[in-house]
Amino acid sequence: MARILDLAPHPAIYAGRLLAEAGHDVIRVEHPAGDTIRRLAPYLGGKPDIEYGAYHQFFNAGKRSFALDTSTSEGLNVFRRLAATADAIIGDLPSPLDPEAFHAEQPRLVLGLLRNDESPEICQYARSGMLALTGQPGRTPMLLGGHVIFAATGLWVGVAVASALLVQDLTGAGQIVTIDLQQCLEVLNEQAIQAYARDGRRTDRRGQRGAITPVSGAFQSADGWWMLSVPSGAERWSRFLEWVQDPVLAADPSLAEEEHRNAAKDMILDRIERWSLTLKKSEAVDTAQRQGITSTPVSTPVDLVDDRQLVHRGFLRDENVPGLGSVQVPAGAIASLLGRPIAPAPALGQHTAELLAELGYDEADRTALFERATI
Amino acid sequence: MAPPLAGVRVLDFTHIVAGPFCTRILADLGAEVLHVETRSRTEGLGVHPDRRDVRVDRNKESITLNLKHEAGQATAARLATVADVIVENFSSDVMRRLKLDYESLEPFNPGLIYVSMSGFGHTGPKRDWTSMNMNLQGYSGLMLVTRAEGDPPTSVSNSWNDFIGGLHAAFAILQVLVERKGDGRGRYLDLAQAECSVATLGPLVLSSAVNREDPPRIGNRSTSIAPQGCYPCAGDDEWCAISVQNDEQWSALTQAMGSSALATDPRFTSGVGRLRFQDEIDEQLRAWTRNISMEEVQARLTAVGVPAERVRQADAVVNSDDAGHVFSPLLTPGASKPDLAAGLPFSLGISETLTPQPPTPMGHHTRKALAEWIGLTDAEIDELDAAGALV
Repeated sequence: MARILDLAPHPAIYAGRLLAEAGHDVIRVEHPAGDTIRRLAPYLGGKPDIEYGAYHQFFNAGKRSFALDTSTSEGLNVFRRLAATADAIIGDLPSPLDPEAFHAEQPRLVLGLLRNDESPEICQYARSGMLALTGQPGRTPMLLGGHVIFAATGLWVGVAVASALLVQDLTGAGQIVTIDLQQCLEVLNEQAIQAYARDGRRTDRRGQRGAITPVSGAFQSADGWWMLSVPSGAERWSRFLEWVQDPVLAADPSLAEEEHRNAAKDMILDRIERWSLTLKKSEAVDTAQRQGITSTPVSTPVDLVDDRQLVHRGFLRDENVPGLGSVQVPAGAIASLLGRPIAPAPALGQHTAELLAELGYDEADRTALFERATI
Repeated sequence: MAPPLAGVRVLDFTHIVAGPFCTRILADLGAEVLHVETRSRTEGLGVHPDRRDVRVDRNKESITLNLKHEAGQATAARLATVADVIVENFSSDVMRRLKLDYESLEPFNPGLIYVSMSGFGHTGPKRDWTSMNMNLQGYSGLMLVTRAEGDPPTSVSNSWNDFIGGLHAAFAILQVLVERKGDGRGRYLDLAQAECSVATLGPLVLSSAVNREDPPRIGNRSTSIAPQGCYPCAGDDEWCAISVQNDEQWSALTQAMGSSALATDPRFTSGVGRLRFQDEIDEQLRAWTRNISMEEVQARLTAVGVPAERVRQADAVVNSDDAGHVFSPLLTPGASKPDLAAGLPFSLGISETLTPQPPTPMGHHTRKALAEWIGLTDAEIDELDAAGALV
């Protein structure tokens, strides 16, 4: 178990959560006024509250909170003492600390630094080439919701730091890891990049229709949206035809060939759209899956509450969140995988006192630091 | 220094996108990844035996084994006895029927880290469900949170959720490799890609569980600053993303637009005011951007400190000086021109990582792997070959 100081901005904050789910001691070092992520809507309970921002509650779960103003030399001293006990630090070192010098003093330390021009999320997404691929055909390109692109960049940071922690465990050596956030997004756009490099092909926005598998997309049913992907193969197609019973599709035997289906995909999807309106969503999904046709409901976040599969797997579990009582929380992909539930997000500065005591600051010291707004 | 995963043997049964993405990260970190492939069946696996993929096949070794053949299966099981990690993303039961599941292999290799990357996991009411990227985009909530109010579900035209699953799997493997050092015991990791996808939307799942309602759908907007959005420019399907973070940038924007009316309108001078009246601001901003190219909008606004980025297509990522550096040209044998392969988006200070190497032909390492991993002689390999186990 490593001790990790988490100073990461939003694009890297998921890394600290992943490491907490993996069982490490992750300490969120935040300004006494609170992390900016605490102020990001929505709020649990609906009203802005420094403790109940949903992004804070999720991304800072499993971590301890050390509230420290590192902009003063006194705060920097406290930080140095804390850092001396750490195995890794994620995010920029408080100025004017220099990563190379830090690394030289503590060769065992893993430093996860970000190359981040700090441009707004929508601009970063635009630059990666992926904003052009997200949205309804011919209409306004759309940022992915829920700030998920920052969850993706945070995943890369987690992988990078985890690989350096592995080296530290094997050899005792630390190192400075530099994660380039723009490149993190570009890699995820490789399919469009490669299609362009290979044959000059442009990848379009498809809205609710699939881009990779021809006969795939989301469809309106009588009671909500559902998603269907008909895998390639003549057999699956004929089973699908039997189910749909659509005269237009049945009348064209050439559609048994994948190539012809690809060429006719928009016509096929139009026909499916009409048929779908007569169906009930959950029956349609169950019938499809039984026939080996990949299908799921299309969810809003509320639809996932009480999801039977996620509850069975322990991914959704009931937990006592201070101030809210019993809440069904997402346990996290790694926590659920490894069977390690994590604690709810800490209150601002909840662990400052205990960490200061550990570092050797006595009561009088702590009072002084508090009065001087350092903590 | 050696790469982080030097000496780690990964027996790779993955196919399509999510699994190979995970094992490629391991390969780039120095693992010896042996990709088990077959010429005997390629339909549905997205494989063309003679067309190698710079995403899937680079930095890995390839062995062809016919797992439907008894000797092919047995050979795979023997390779598994000396593997550190196995990764597979078949549907439930496939590996069990092949006797290549964790229960079958663990007794011969207690240190084995066995990762299944199925859609929903191998337990629970949906354990037999098949899953693909688009379904996860829908199921996880992504398609219904990505849109403005009233729009239909909105996707990203790539295998987004496969990457999310692959990244989580790579992270888990790196973690468990460290833990294994303690007691030498491996473990079985039953990873559900759906859980990985839902985890990335964790904050909204959490807020919906508490508030019993979905958060408002705001499309390209922000809850705290305005204007922000994607504005149509002069060319066909050309747009510029603009995001005004503060009063100074607002002032600079209105000057660039040459609109003193906007600049002096008291409703817009504060951030709170701009949020309230963003419909009106957006209309005026669109009217301005519509007549200018997206490159020009970006240039004029960034020159005065306003965050603006043209909505790039692939060509503008590849052909610009300020983007695309994670890609390098890679000539696959048999191809007429190089593909662009993406490397790792991070560098380690002292540990080496691998840059993408040209993909090797299918089955190229069959003999080498059988000799080095499990000590088969040439004669023994010939026998397997003759029996048809190595296709």
